Formats: sequence, structure tokens, C-alpha cells
Amino acid sequence: MARSGRSAQKGVRRSPKRLVLGVLIFGFAALIIAQSAPQIRNVFNPVRASVGDRLGGGEQVGIWARLTGRAAQEARIRDLEAQVRDLSRYKAAAISMAERLEAYEEILNLMGEPPVKGVTARVTSESEGPFAQTLLANAGRSHGVEPGSVAMNEGGLVGRVIQLGERSSRILLVTDFNSRVPVIGEVSGVHAIMQGGSTSSGTLTDLPERSDFIEGERILTSAEGGAFPRGLIVGEVHQSGNDWRVKYAMSEGSSGYVQLIPPPTIDRPISTGDLLPADGSVTASPAQGARR
Amino acid sequence: MPRNSSARRKQSLWSKSGPSARLTFGCFVITVVGLFGLTRNDIFGLSFAWPHAALWGAVGWGRVGLSIRPMIALIAFGAIQDVIFHAPFGSFEVINLLTYAASTAIASEFDVTSEPLIAIVASVMLFAGAFLVLWLMASTLEDHAVRVVPLIAAMLTTGMLYALVHKIFDLGRKPGESVGQAT
Repeated sequence: MARSGRSAQKGVRRSPKRLVLGVLIFGFAALIIAQSAPQIRNVFNPVRASVGDRLGGGEQVGIWARLTGRAAQEARIRDLEAQVRDLSRYKAAAISMAERLEAYEEILNLMGEPPVKGVTARVTSESEGPFAQTLLANAGRSHGVEPGSVAMNEGGLVGRVIQLGERSSRILLVTDFNSRVPVIGEVSGVHAIMQGGSTSSGTLTDLPERSDFIEGERILTSAEGGAFPRGLIVGEVHQSGNDWRVKYAMSEGSSGYVQLIPPPTIDRPISTGDLLPADGSVTASPAQGARR
Repeated sequence: MPRNSSARRKQSLWSKSGPSARLTFGCFVITVVGLFGLTRNDIFGLSFAWPHAALWGAVGWGRVGLSIRPMIALIAFGAIQDVIFHAPFGSFEVINLLTYAASTAIASEFDVTSEPLIAIVASVMLFAGAFLVLWLMASTLEDHAVRVVPLIAAMLTTGMLYALVHKIFDLGRKPGESVGQAT
């Protein structure tokens, strides 16, 4: 079928061009293999760079690199380097701001949050407890747990100690219907009360009328009422119809351990009688003090 | 006689030109397309790459048999392609020469000049083989299997353009063959 039969006619006299072609192919194949040695590759690199510059393709992304995926990797590296540069600027700004904040606190003589001292305890679920959503922790008064201690896990706020024994304690989870946690939006600054009642999300009540949360912002404890320290992560806020609901952050932690942090306590002021000077001189009234 | 003279008058400049002129013009076309690939990579948001134009020459020039000058041209284009593609030296020379050798081998076995079906099938196989060799070579040299989709896209572009311009890479007659002997 359409065979020309030229090969049969020329079978006897082989053209030297075939030999030349074969030698050329073999020679270039050997050249490719030889370039796997760095010394030989280095010989060709200046030639390649020079010719590439003359052809104007030096700064372009090579198609070979595109085909092999190296271009995409290099682009990714450039993106990551740009991100690192940006983050370095943020880091420098954060360090500078932290130093300024420290200086301001020093100037104002501001009492910051006390350092956290906690006890880590193993928790087990309790199905027959007085509350629907409680946990039992294997640490009690003898381990340094205090009444009203706040329970945290890797995700965020878990609950609060409501019963304390010598070697164990009962934690009321924030998911319980009876739980009420004063919270604040991290970005919006809106205050509210988070009420439990669901295993996945809590309801925000007592919201101000003229301000609203921002969808997806983090919800932190506001320390209103003094039951919880300020700034503990509670969850993430999402709008559900007309209601705002908080997806609990504690769901992200499931190691079975909680840290029991002592509740924030502010010492009560000492009665004025104790402050009377020994020499019996009269102290100024608050108003006088303010005027002074 | 008058019929013959009118037929002779109707002969185009291309049909009258010999292999040297056709080879020169083919090289010119490959160079122009290559320069286009070098200078403009993005038009209307579409990325244009060097469309492996040297393979047109390898496929087309091989149809009339082996010759030294097409080999030299293919080596020169291969060297430029190596630089442009940032490929190891020798890669595209081997691909071009292998395609040229395969094209001449097919032409010596089958009548690719007067059988359109064989000519089409042979061209498709040659382009597919060339890109397969390119893929194998790139994968071997990079130590991982390189992406196939860009190569297939380049192969389709090269093949479709060749269907349009294949006459440019027809040298007309075999090396050493006189004008009257051409089939």
C-alpha cells in the first residue's frame, strides 16, 4: 500500500548522510548526558547567558521552566518572600507598639492583667450531674484550684468551676443553658451576654441597639462582673437570621485536658478607718482630693 | 503546444523555485515565528510561546530525503531553542534531528507526496513522537514527570499551524535530483 520501495532499491548503497545524522544525534545525546557533570555545565552557562541576553530572553521565564513546573515553584517562592517581607514590617511595628504600650503603662502606672497561674487537669464528661452540660476535673482544692476558676482548653474558654472538692471539681460548660458569659467583639467592641443552650453555638443577648457585631469576628470575654478574665477566646460570631450566634472555640480542642485558671480577683478596698493616720489629722474629702 | 505554454505561464514563483530557495524561505519563516515567540509573550491576555517551529522544518524537509543543509539549519534552530527554553544544550538538536530522521525514514518507506492520508498520519505521528521525546527528555533531566498539558497544547498548536503552512516546508525535489526528475 503506497510503498515506494525506494529503500529496497537503495538498500545496497547506503548514503553517508545517514551516518552523519546518526553521529550528530549520538553526539548531541552525549552532550546532554555530559552536562549532568557540574564542571561541564559551568562551561556552557556563560555561553548560554551571553546568547540569551543577546536574544532578549534572559529576563523572561523560560518555557522549559514552565513545562517542568519550576516557574510555578519560583513564583511561589517569590510570593512567600514578599509575604515574609510584609510580615517583617508587621513584626517590627508590633515590637515598636509593644514597647510604646509598655512605656505608656509605666507612665500611667497601669495595673495590667495578673500573670496566669493554672492547674491542668484531666476532664471527663458527666451525664448525671445537676447541670446538663458539666465536666468533672481530677483536680481540686488540694491541687490549688479555687472556687470559680475558669477552665480553658487549646481552643478557648470551656467553662467555670461551680463545685469544688478536695481532689475534684465540677465545671459548668459555656454550652449549658444556665451559663452566661459577658463577652465583647474583638473588632467591633460591642458588649453582650452569651447564653448557652446548644452544643455548637451560643446565643448573644443584651446587645446594644445601635451597634452590631462584625460577621466572623472573634468573641472574647469582657470581664464584666469579674467572673472571667478579660480577653479569653470564646468563639467566632455569625449571624443567623436576626440573631447573632457564637461558634464555640473550645470545640477545636479535644485533648481531654483543661487548664483551670484562678478567677480574676480584685482586693476589696480597706475601710477608711484603717487609713486614718496615727497622728489623727483630718483627711481630705474625695471632692477636695479631686480639686487638689 | 499552446496548452503547454499556457500551463508553463501559470506556474507560480514557488513552484519554479528550487530546494535551496525553499529551504532559505523555510528558515526565514521559522526564524520569524521564533522571533515572534521571543519578543511577544502576551497578547490580549493569552500567553504565546515559541511554537516549536523548527519541527515544521524537520517534518517537512525530511519528506524528500536526507540532506546536510537541513540538518545544519535544524541544529542551529535547536541551539536557539535550547537557549530560549533554558534547556540543556543538545536537547532540541536531538529532538529536531530525530524528527528529521523519522520523517526521512517514513518518506523512504511510504509515498507521502501523493497519498494525503499517509502524509497526514505521518505528520501527526511525527509531531506526537517529537513531543513524546521532549516529555521523556524533560522528565528525565528534571528527575520528575513534567506537566503534559502544556506540551499537548504546544503540540496541537504546532500541528495545526503546520497544516496551514506545510507547503512552505516542501523542498520540491530530492537532493541531487534535477528539475525534470522531480516526481
